[in-house]
Amino acid sequence: MRIGAARQTYAADEALFETTVQRAWFAGLLAALVAFPFMADAYWLYLACLVAINVASATGLNILTGYTGLVSLGQAAFMGIGAYTVAVLEIRFGTPFLLNLVAAGLLAAAGGILVGIPSLRVKGLYLAIATIAASFILHFVFANWTSVTNGVTGLSMPPARLFGVALDTSFRMYWLIVPVTVLMVMGAANLFRTRIGRAFIAIRDRDISAEVLGIPLLRYKLMSFALSSFYAGVAGGLWAYFFRVVTPESFPLVMSIFYLAAIIVGGMGTILGPILGAAFMTMVPEVLKLGVGWLSPWVPDAVALLSPVRTIVFGALIVGFLVFEPQGLAEIWRRVRRFFHLWPFKT
Amino acid sequence: MLVTRRTMLGLAMAAGAAMVAAPPAVAADDIVIGGSIPMTGVFAFAGVGIHAGIGDYVKIVNDAGGIKGRKIKYVYEDTGYKVDASVAAFQKLTSQEKPNFYYGDSTGFSKTINPELERNGNILMAGASFASELNDPQKYPYQFMAGPDYTAMFGVLLRYIQKTQPGAKVAFVHSDTEFGRDPIKPSTALAASLGLKVVETIVTPPGSVDVSTEVLKLRRADPDFTIFHGYVLAPIPEFITQARQMNMKSRFMGTFWSMDHSMVMKLGDVGEGFMGVMPYRYYYDTDPKAPMLAKIRQMRPEYQSTAYMQGFVTAMLFVEAAKRCVESGKELNGKNLKGCLNGIKDFDTGGLFGVPITVSGNSIPVGRVYRADMKAKTMVPVSDWIKAE
Repeated sequence: MRIGAARQTYAADEALFETTVQRAWFAGLLAALVAFPFMADAYWLYLACLVAINVASATGLNILTGYTGLVSLGQAAFMGIGAYTVAVLEIRFGTPFLLNLVAAGLLAAAGGILVGIPSLRVKGLYLAIATIAASFILHFVFANWTSVTNGVTGLSMPPARLFGVALDTSFRMYWLIVPVTVLMVMGAANLFRTRIGRAFIAIRDRDISAEVLGIPLLRYKLMSFALSSFYAGVAGGLWAYFFRVVTPESFPLVMSIFYLAAIIVGGMGTILGPILGAAFMTMVPEVLKLGVGWLSPWVPDAVALLSPVRTIVFGALIVGFLVFEPQGLAEIWRRVRRFFHLWPFKT
Repeated sequence: MLVTRRTMLGLAMAAGAAMVAAPPAVAADDIVIGGSIPMTGVFAFAGVGIHAGIGDYVKIVNDAGGIKGRKIKYVYEDTGYKVDASVAAFQKLTSQEKPNFYYGDSTGFSKTINPELERNGNILMAGASFASELNDPQKYPYQFMAGPDYTAMFGVLLRYIQKTQPGAKVAFVHSDTEFGRDPIKPSTALAASLGLKVVETIVTPPGSVDVSTEVLKLRRADPDFTIFHGYVLAPIPEFITQARQMNMKSRFMGTFWSMDHSMVMKLGDVGEGFMGVMPYRYYYDTDPKAPMLAKIRQMRPEYQSTAYMQGFVTAMLFVEAAKRCVESGKELNGKNLKGCLNGIKDFDTGGLFGVPITVSGNSIPVGRVYRADMKAKTMVPVSDWIKAE
């Protein structure tokens, strides 16, 4: 517990931010997010948007896997539902993008509830396999429901429009993607201050005990699936608006593994974990590329020679984190913060 | 020295900052070719060749003085054959280097980046994809492919079949991917119009191993020719091995990405007689009409893949379009470069294509049928150059 942060009310105990300093830092972060697009070039803006989409989806998966303890490898498929929903609504009906995103989330949530039904009977690896099966079924639907999804060719869609302005660049998309992601992360953070969120945690820690405490397991597990898939659906919708081409191959199984890896590397069961994990998984390959490019003046054709090494380093970094920091990047962050709480009195 | 966690963190941050600060370098009048190249991942076997091909042609042009003294600069990023990484590479290179040309690594990337190409308006793009969908100058005005699209490749094969065995029975075996399904529908119609019977169409997962039920299906259909598409290698060897064990007489064929010499040679003895379509001559073709191949062999004495040829030819077409624009005093933007590219008529590629080429739309619908000679370990031409239009 922090020095000078004595809590005297239950409300203070549940507050998202314990101190004024924390609130000030958060305001600083928001200000930095607002300032970022004016300082970054198209490449960094593109990466920022990609990280934000991945953060939104990873946060959803964290609700299900990190907080409720239900392993899912169907996150990419739920993103696919969201992306196709947005693409179809945008192309056929031209409905406003915010409505499309909500519809994407709701439809994905419905899909999540269906897939989550076996979760009362199966857990752990068995549930993971059940969700893989669901993702194969959804892939089949995307590839073969030609009248809606346009089959393997997929759908190319127009950009989202806001007051007549087409959101067709990373700079413009940033103002859609990042606020939506911030809202979603704040939503997730608040969720665990409510009965629902606490019920999820109780289920994760011991589902039988949770049931004894009066938590209806099926209802809450399905709710967790629905929420997680809602996040995936909205993230998929944002993805569709960002890339503007949706094909069955856009959301492969390996993408679900990516999100699972992101929350494990970041730290499961924390709000910060998926943010750091998604940023790490998205950015490290790019930073390693920069490193390889940096060696170019000294190593001729460095990119060609060192690209395979780069993928090995990325893999080794993930393994390294799992071995040396099993609590994830969020734990490193906490440790750094603890250091500064007492600095300069203790270093 | 004890390396603490804090020291490591500090070092990592310093290294990261140094990497981010790496400066780009491009001369103002350089003509720049950018590339999202798959040097790692499932398509790396092709990416390495493509990279070498583009690099070699750029070197040849620069060694000869460039285009009116303007040097060609080739900059690229590895993509791992992932669309999001390809787009990141595109954004990075367009921010830093302002390329005039771009090489894309997949159909997914070509489709995804198309709106950005139209918005940017300064780049002409080609790539590793021969997707029929991209062969539409209205929909993809700033793109082209340095060869025939997949439907045209099937067209070359079907025309060859019609000529050698009119009324033959044909089967299509393709992967359950966008790549695999691409030419199947139009090619089924073309086969009918050529008087050929498509007796079976088999779909498998890409890279599948167990294909025994599919081979039984193929045996029941008893085709004279079986065309594989949407694979690089697996399950083609397994298909052919099992079919040979069942004494099937069908002749097996492939399209561009399964027709590299080293890939075909991996089939071993069962690959004897394997045929397929190839728009370029193979590395070891010593035809006197192909002086460029002699030059390539001089630069690189070891075998170079068909992906290398594809990269080389693509760079050649980029440079030719730029040359025509520079010579006619036109600004180097996407529209002008595409116009200059489409102005290419009966162009000699130094024999890489066996016939002079004309780029009328987004593709060059020419190809030749080759057959594997396993004893001589070479791909032997069995047809003349066929136009698929």
